[in-house]
Amino acid sequence: MRPTSANDQSGAEMRDRNLAKVAAVVGVGHTDWTADHGRVRAGEKPHDSYGYAAIAFTRALEDAGLHRDQVDGLIVGPTTAYERVGELLGIDARWGGQADAMLAVIQACMAIKAGLAEVVALVYGNDQRSASARYGGADPVGGGAFLSYVYHAPWGFTSQGALYAMMFRRYMAVTGITEADLGQVAVAQRLAASRNPNAIMQKRITLDEYLSSAYVCEPLHLFDYCLINDGGVALIIAESSRARRIRLDPVYIHGVGRSDLNHGATSLEPRLFDFYRPAQAQSAEQVFNMAGVGPADMDVLQVYDSFSCHIPLALEGYGYCKIGDAGRFMREDGISLDKGLPINTSGGHLSESYMQGWNHQIESVRQLRRECGERQVANCRYVHYSSDVAGKAVSIIYGR
Amino acid sequence: MANSKPVMSMYDAPMWESIGRHRLELQTCSRCARFRYPPAPICANCLSLDYRWHPIAGRGTILSWVIFHRQYFDDHVPPYNVVAVQIEEGPIILSNLVGPVPEGSWIGAEVEFCYGEHAGRMQHQVRLREHSSIAAESA
Repeated sequence: MRPTSANDQSGAEMRDRNLAKVAAVVGVGHTDWTADHGRVRAGEKPHDSYGYAAIAFTRALEDAGLHRDQVDGLIVGPTTAYERVGELLGIDARWGGQADAMLAVIQACMAIKAGLAEVVALVYGNDQRSASARYGGADPVGGGAFLSYVYHAPWGFTSQGALYAMMFRRYMAVTGITEADLGQVAVAQRLAASRNPNAIMQKRITLDEYLSSAYVCEPLHLFDYCLINDGGVALIIAESSRARRIRLDPVYIHGVGRSDLNHGATSLEPRLFDFYRPAQAQSAEQVFNMAGVGPADMDVLQVYDSFSCHIPLALEGYGYCKIGDAGRFMREDGISLDKGLPINTSGGHLSESYMQGWNHQIESVRQLRRECGERQVANCRYVHYSSDVAGKAVSIIYGR
Repeated sequence: MANSKPVMSMYDAPMWESIGRHRLELQTCSRCARFRYPPAPICANCLSLDYRWHPIAGRGTILSWVIFHRQYFDDHVPPYNVVAVQIEEGPIILSNLVGPVPEGSWIGAEVEFCYGEHAGRMQHQVRLREHSSIAAESA
């Protein structure tokens, strides 16, 4: 993944490294996922999306030791309106926008690199559980952005889990990976969640419990699906020299990568023919080149896990194992806090909470700040975050 | 809950009319002859806007399948299957496999399109080709 020739240092490599260590995370915050989960289950509505976003923002600001007036950039998550969040938080930004978690981080780096902002707040709130958001059926969340989520509804094909079930069934046939191999993901992430007081599901599960759990869309089981919950997350990202003045232990963004598969997306071609691999390979090349490190240097891997099968796909696509070897890798090498490469050390979307990739960002930062208590990965220097939602492969490397 | 409903853009409507006639038609590109699915305003291969409607031969191969165990629509009661079929003309089309199902893996099974009433509209479905030929012989 590194540059092949020492003589070819000027053009391509300089461009490749344009966003390396331009910015750093100086503050993180989140709402009380477990407490709010209990209240929502009891029929209460603790906050709406804006309320969750606001709470997370004040906590991130406090974590950074900054005053609101020092924030000059604002990026809000996909479920809240940019202007209203800025109005609520009293921020007249000189640069702003709306993005998902991974693109918000990249856009903050781009704005800082371009001199359009120096301290950018990234703010996300979502009341998806208390608001009864539906990810399948008539008018599902995301249906306006992805035609594949709604196009096959006449044949009963709905919910993002079904798209991954269809993909994983073929992936099983092509690679030989089994349901028991996939079960390693849910078991390992629940182990991590059992050491995370913020996780909603902290009770450990066994592989037998996984295999005997109900199917939702076969071959995927209940434990392969993320936890839909209310909550908020915020990050404060600052230009690197400014970040060093803000705090002693800023967490740098060492690299970013992106590659999208759109061709044939509605009829599932990138899923059924490619398993997202071309996008992941390009995203990996870009992110590792920019950071000047490779998969072997990563201490933790965070993967956007709306469904467990993202993990084997990422392991192969980003070069952590050979193509077709993810089942053996998960089973024998291990992907847990106790064995092998730790993946989704907070429990991820499956066991901590489905915060649409935002919780992975703050977990990456906290692992690098060595704040994770029982679930802390020793000597954590680099964390790789990846997402490949609908074949859009985005990658970020965080480091000290 | 509610019934499922088709996406009905101006390009989808003629396709659904052809399904109503029990013979699925798709657009073919007037320049490069590529079939389009879903129906579209432009050919993603050569960027030509020109097309004509062409019936498909009605044969394909199963690439993958799932079984729904959870209910999302009033008109689809689990358990039910959805199959991804690559038709001979190239595109992947999702449908329901009706009649007998393969033993073991469904992947690679050859199917043909058929048509059935569903929740007040005509839809395409697929059935195993070996089964239909056996049925034809016995009939």
